[in-house]
Amino acid sequence: MKTIAKSRLNELLKALDKEYNILVPFKEESVSKFVPWQEGVDPYFEENTLLPPKDILFPQTEKMYGFKVKDKSVEIEELTQEKGQQIIFGLRSCDAYSIDCLDKVFLTKGYEDGFYRQKRENTLLWALACTKPQDSCFCESIGIDPREAVCADVQIYDLGEEWGFTARSAAGEELLQKLEGLFTDKDAEPLPVQGFSITVDMEGVPEKLANMFDHPLWEEVSRKCLGCAACTYLCPTCHCFDIAGSVKGGQGYKFRCWDSCMFSEYTRMAGGHNPRPSKKERVRNRFLHKLYYFVERYGQLLCTGCGRCLAKCPVNMDITAIIRKIKEAQQQ
Amino acid sequence: MNEISLQMREIARDLLSKNEVNLVLGWEKGSHWYKSAPLFINKVEDVDRLVFDEFCHNNLSKYLVDLAHHEAKVAIFVKGCDSRGINRLIQDNVIKREQVYVIGIPCRGLKDPDDAVGKKCGEPVKDAVKCQECRYPNPVVHDIMVGEQVNATARGQETAALIEKLEKMTQDERYNYWSRQFECCIRCYACRNVCPACSCRECIFDRAVPDWLGKANNLAENQFMHLTRAMHVAGRCIECGECERACPMNLPLMALNKKIIKDIEELFGENDAGIDPEKKPPLGHFELNDPEKFM
Amino acid sequence: MSIDNAWEPKILVFACNWCTYAGADLAGLSRLQYPANIRILRVPCSGRVNPQFVVRAFLKGIDGVLVAGCHPGDCHYTTGNYFTRRRFLLMKRLLEYMGLEPERFQTRWISGSEGPKFQQVVTELVQDIKALGPNRKLRDA
Repeated sequence: MKTIAKSRLNELLKALDKEYNILVPFKEESVSKFVPWQEGVDPYFEENTLLPPKDILFPQTEKMYGFKVKDKSVEIEELTQEKGQQIIFGLRSCDAYSIDCLDKVFLTKGYEDGFYRQKRENTLLWALACTKPQDSCFCESIGIDPREAVCADVQIYDLGEEWGFTARSAAGEELLQKLEGLFTDKDAEPLPVQGFSITVDMEGVPEKLANMFDHPLWEEVSRKCLGCAACTYLCPTCHCFDIAGSVKGGQGYKFRCWDSCMFSEYTRMAGGHNPRPSKKERVRNRFLHKLYYFVERYGQLLCTGCGRCLAKCPVNMDITAIIRKIKEAQQQ
Repeated sequence: MNEISLQMREIARDLLSKNEVNLVLGWEKGSHWYKSAPLFINKVEDVDRLVFDEFCHNNLSKYLVDLAHHEAKVAIFVKGCDSRGINRLIQDNVIKREQVYVIGIPCRGLKDPDDAVGKKCGEPVKDAVKCQECRYPNPVVHDIMVGEQVNATARGQETAALIEKLEKMTQDERYNYWSRQFECCIRCYACRNVCPACSCRECIFDRAVPDWLGKANNLAENQFMHLTRAMHVAGRCIECGECERACPMNLPLMALNKKIIKDIEELFGENDAGIDPEKKPPLGHFELNDPEKFM
Repeated sequence: MSIDNAWEPKILVFACNWCTYAGADLAGLSRLQYPANIRILRVPCSGRVNPQFVVRAFLKGIDGVLVAGCHPGDCHYTTGNYFTRRRFLLMKRLLEYMGLEPERFQTRWISGSEGPKFQQVVTELVQDIKALGPNRKLRDA
């Protein structure tokens, strides 16, 4: 393993900064998120970030193209800013798994999202192995290994006084070789992962959900939901978006922005009909999507076990409690 | 607190088994020891899930907005602040007093769940900011009261101090402060959805026609949203502080709402929303001799 | 950043149909000159003006907003302007608390016979806003 003393992390970041935009977790007041690194930014590795890194590849608001009316025709202008090479440094296994899910959505099944692809192609993931699960973490129950992230280019380990790095892809290997001089090669044992306070048995849940569309349990669990978008915007895998335009006179631009299936008007159609008219349908849709539809379509769960939703939901809607209810539910 | 939980269960059991109500709104323990969540009970077997502890933050009166057309009476447990929400909804003609059976619980103040993250049960936890300046710990409307009345005690004044600090700043400093805050807003509308004063059948921000606000997240739209919401609830805010507590980004929303309340008191006299259901909200009526300082 | 000397402020005036709009009309009939920076939006009563109209005006690039209506007691709808008075007294304080310059949002009573007052109010307002410069706050990207 390649190691570097924790006190020398800045040197590593500075060296990487020459060719890459580095995004590191950073905490300001009580909000932690990924920010571009520069001298003076002290990365925050104590806990997982509140805001997931999905908005690095899938921004909350993104201009797509501009248009201008010229005589009788329209001029189109590409507006997406080409991102240079970047590294997401210090994301956890849950968030790396979420990027894997987003890759499946935006890059597979016949349509490639150009906006997402341009950013993803130029992004390397340096994933950080967790040592201390937070109160709301349950990634292990989902089948995610907190110490080994999927689709990581480099895996970072906390060795106590040092950081350890192992390449997990060709690109990662190449980069570590380039920075050879900063590291000390040695055999090192990463710190173990401490226990999880939340565990949930996922066995058979997607299969059972296939027949639970009309189950009365959805009425019960959806009653306390407020219908805000806190869970969806904090969720690392949620990817619904709306497309709208901003027009001033003869010119404007089209943009896309995050939307949430929890909003009451999310499925409202032009005639006024809304196939998900009440909270029950919307809550049911959210959990079926996470635990069943995505499994059916892509073969993996859309929940990463990061626990942000149940930590920040104003009424403590708990996906693990709902999974337990699903397991106990009588088949109708 | 335990004694109160037991009494809550007895009352709920009694009401449900006698069919006086067919739904009870209360709280139960959530995913962690420092989380208590809303609970809807319609079966007697479930009453033993009811608890009241220092993390029962949720203002259950908000749910009455959805239950306005419920076919039977609803029983609801309320703290001091929550009970003002019930009066608020009665004033707004959203519900009728006869539709609810109000069980009041005098509240000694709640703890801050964000401060409890990572701690073990029993370790000291800070008081919730929203409870620090509480003036109405005892429910102002109730059919029955559980527990002894409590004296209102000031436990701190974080919000009042922040408002004072902001008032002393220059215009540009204030603008920079609020801009920094609103840049962090993710427009999840948790603040609006948790607020009992926000009871519009169709919220201005949900309308597509006219298109007041889309979903794009930028500073200008965030400012528009918060300024508009602050003015729309002006004079009707019951100071429960749920908006600030629910906000995932910890925006200091009470520094906005309490400032408006302060201005209303200064300009138009004592006007506490939700205390007297007969009284009209400050912006819903007028006096002939209202101040006209700038006209 | 230097302000272009040719910059002219854009001012939005919410004018109540029965008094202020008539007053503006009278100013025109009397050939009273006032700056052309104002855009008049006629409303049935000053009480019709929602707080979000004012915020949206600033969002969309207006440099100053004036809400003007009948004198208290003279409202065509009897009580509309009493609500205006309370609402905008509060809103002015809120906008100042947000950091907006107080001169940018003003409210006045201008009656149908007060053509000269309309001219005076508008002229002063335009002067005030010109001194402040273009509005950069609450502005859409």
